[in-house]
Amino acid sequence: MITPPLILAIDTSCDDTSAAVVWGQVVLSNVVASQTQLHKQYGGVFPTVAKQAHRENIEPVIQLALSRAEVTTAELSAIAVTQGPGLAPALEVGIEHAKNLASQLSIPLIPVNHIEGHVLSVLAVPKKVGASKEQLRQQAVEVNRKIEELELPVLSIIVSGGHTEFVLVKKPGEYQRLGFTVDDAAGEALDKVGRMLDLGYPAGPVIEQFAKLGDATMYSFPLPMTTSGNANLSFSGMKTAARNLLETERLKKELSAQQVYDFCASFQKAVFKAITYKLSKILLITPCFGVWLGGGVAANMALRATLRQTIKPHQLKLQVPYTKKMCADNAAMIGVVASFKFQRGEEVSKFQTIERIPRWELD
Amino acid sequence: MRVLDLHQISQEKAVEEAVESLATGNLVIFPTETTYGAGVDALNQHAVDTLLAYKTRREGKPLSIAVADARMASQYVEVNDSAHRIYQRFLPGPVTVISRSLGKVAPGVESEFGTLGIRIPDYPLILEIVNRLGRPITATSANASGGKRPYSISDLLSQLSEKQKKLIGLVLDAGQLPPNPPSTVIDTTLSTPVVFRQGKLELVQNQVQTKLHSGDEAETKGIAQRLALKYWSAIKDTGLVIGLNGSLGMGKTIFVKGVAEFLQIPEVITSPTYSYVQEYAFTRHGISGKLIHSDVWKVDSTAEATRLELASFFKPGHLVIIEWASNIREYLEETLAEHQLPYIQVGFSAISHQLAQRQLLIQEPEASAG
Repeated sequence: MITPPLILAIDTSCDDTSAAVVWGQVVLSNVVASQTQLHKQYGGVFPTVAKQAHRENIEPVIQLALSRAEVTTAELSAIAVTQGPGLAPALEVGIEHAKNLASQLSIPLIPVNHIEGHVLSVLAVPKKVGASKEQLRQQAVEVNRKIEELELPVLSIIVSGGHTEFVLVKKPGEYQRLGFTVDDAAGEALDKVGRMLDLGYPAGPVIEQFAKLGDATMYSFPLPMTTSGNANLSFSGMKTAARNLLETERLKKELSAQQVYDFCASFQKAVFKAITYKLSKILLITPCFGVWLGGGVAANMALRATLRQTIKPHQLKLQVPYTKKMCADNAAMIGVVASFKFQRGEEVSKFQTIERIPRWELD
Repeated sequence: MRVLDLHQISQEKAVEEAVESLATGNLVIFPTETTYGAGVDALNQHAVDTLLAYKTRREGKPLSIAVADARMASQYVEVNDSAHRIYQRFLPGPVTVISRSLGKVAPGVESEFGTLGIRIPDYPLILEIVNRLGRPITATSANASGGKRPYSISDLLSQLSEKQKKLIGLVLDAGQLPPNPPSTVIDTTLSTPVVFRQGKLELVQNQVQTKLHSGDEAETKGIAQRLALKYWSAIKDTGLVIGLNGSLGMGKTIFVKGVAEFLQIPEVITSPTYSYVQEYAFTRHGISGKLIHSDVWKVDSTAEATRLELASFFKPGHLVIIEWASNIREYLEETLAEHQLPYIQVGFSAISHQLAQRQLLIQEPEASAG
């Protein structure tokens, strides 16, 4: 039995600084800076955008990830780091730190594509509670062995604030991008229309809650890209339609709470409809054994339900990440990708060769 | 721990008992329209410490407070326009509105970022208690962190340790509550704009204005391309910055797609709202450079703008296009003066919002105009 690698993973691709320790696909710890008490006051409301913030966060976040995992740096097999896509100055911080750490420890450094992290996030498994280190090792071995039993290819759907894509997973490390948004991401459309409804920021989660109280048939939105002949998506036209509709309504009278609920329900339904419409087209011509869901909006229960309905006639099951935290940006998913790369021998020993790739497409 | 069965006593009596208990620093378990809550006087440090001990592991999550009305809320947080509208529309009700705290509650109540959640529960008993107490009480759910949300007192007590039970002063038992979801949290502290008011383009340099009409997306792209052509030598020699301003859904990204076509960039230009900045390499007529597409919709201070390091892109061969540029006006004024780059502003506004028609207000350096 092969013991999979013990990996410290780092993600600084955008707003959050994150570090995690994984044993193969078993998550021993997964620390995201905004969710802990590590912050100092930045003056701003959110400690983001930010080389400086990442610089201040990264070491404490790594230390916390190691201590929560009860792992020392001497035990690590490799360091993994997000190389892109993301905000360039933010990526640099993670990459520099990872390079130094790998060099100090004389262990391999594994660069990872952030989108691939979301794709494989469904394969992450939580550690057994209260298990000894040996029991965790056995769990890691067992989980890693079961990967061979995966029926592939599967179709992965990534839905987040920054990305909306369909990716065919032939096997870990081998992907085909089937479709993607040509303008706004789905999560961004939800956030922005929620903002037009005065639901603060981020408004996507508020829309999900309010949609439950609303009637989704009250407002209608155009279904985009129906004649494009490909699996690409577009949400910018829906956003403009929402804006026009709201202005027309507001000319009559300020929206009531119920109208806001109805608008949330209707718009959310339209966004998800755009996704399932293309999904159905893909499934007609693309044989696969299952559908995976990842990205921040994967935490939305209404999206999950809609997707399940869509794929049911194809006898397919929807697989989602084991916690909501695994849906959002986090380093554990980067570690999971790295665990496969490590076992395939794809590592970088020449530390200097890693540079950030701010726009890196999976394919 | 005293338990009062609300079905057995008058509301008057319940209010009296609860107010007395809270005023003496006790922790009171009370019903709300969502679940049972744990309340203490939010201004009493000792009482807040008791609550924090009761809730155990908080991981820095802020508590929220229950107030009687919007007027009381404004004594503890900055109620901005957005929050004000939410109060009017949704409160009292199962909504928590996050605002910047005025720092008047006991430490440990507000978040480490200085924000505070406000609840006005749709539950007359609680509003009356808060009113009578004359100060806010904490409004966190009564379960310990990580525990199930309690809809009955027996639910709650079954998940508490003896130590936790001892911290409770009074329980207001309203029986089984309907299994309503927790309150929806709306964060109003980040001031992402919805509209850009036309005519508010700031004159950064000596600029002249041109008004153009665009009938559809293709025309908007055409305008963008003509502008890029006009400034082609500036792009080559010094670099060029274009700031775009316009309400959500106005076609700012379409403008950038037009520029990208002009620069013969093969990739699809997608929204950079979440990544803040996206870089695209171009080669046109043998000249290579970069299109830097940025969106600062989420950026609301010069400090944030500085961290994006946008000015590091201000150099020959670079065309930097910034959506919602007016958000970082001060930053741009400073850095543009320093780098001596030409700056063009484009304001988008609707002519007739049912159609794709737009008015583009272009402000450009005096010398280059005409």
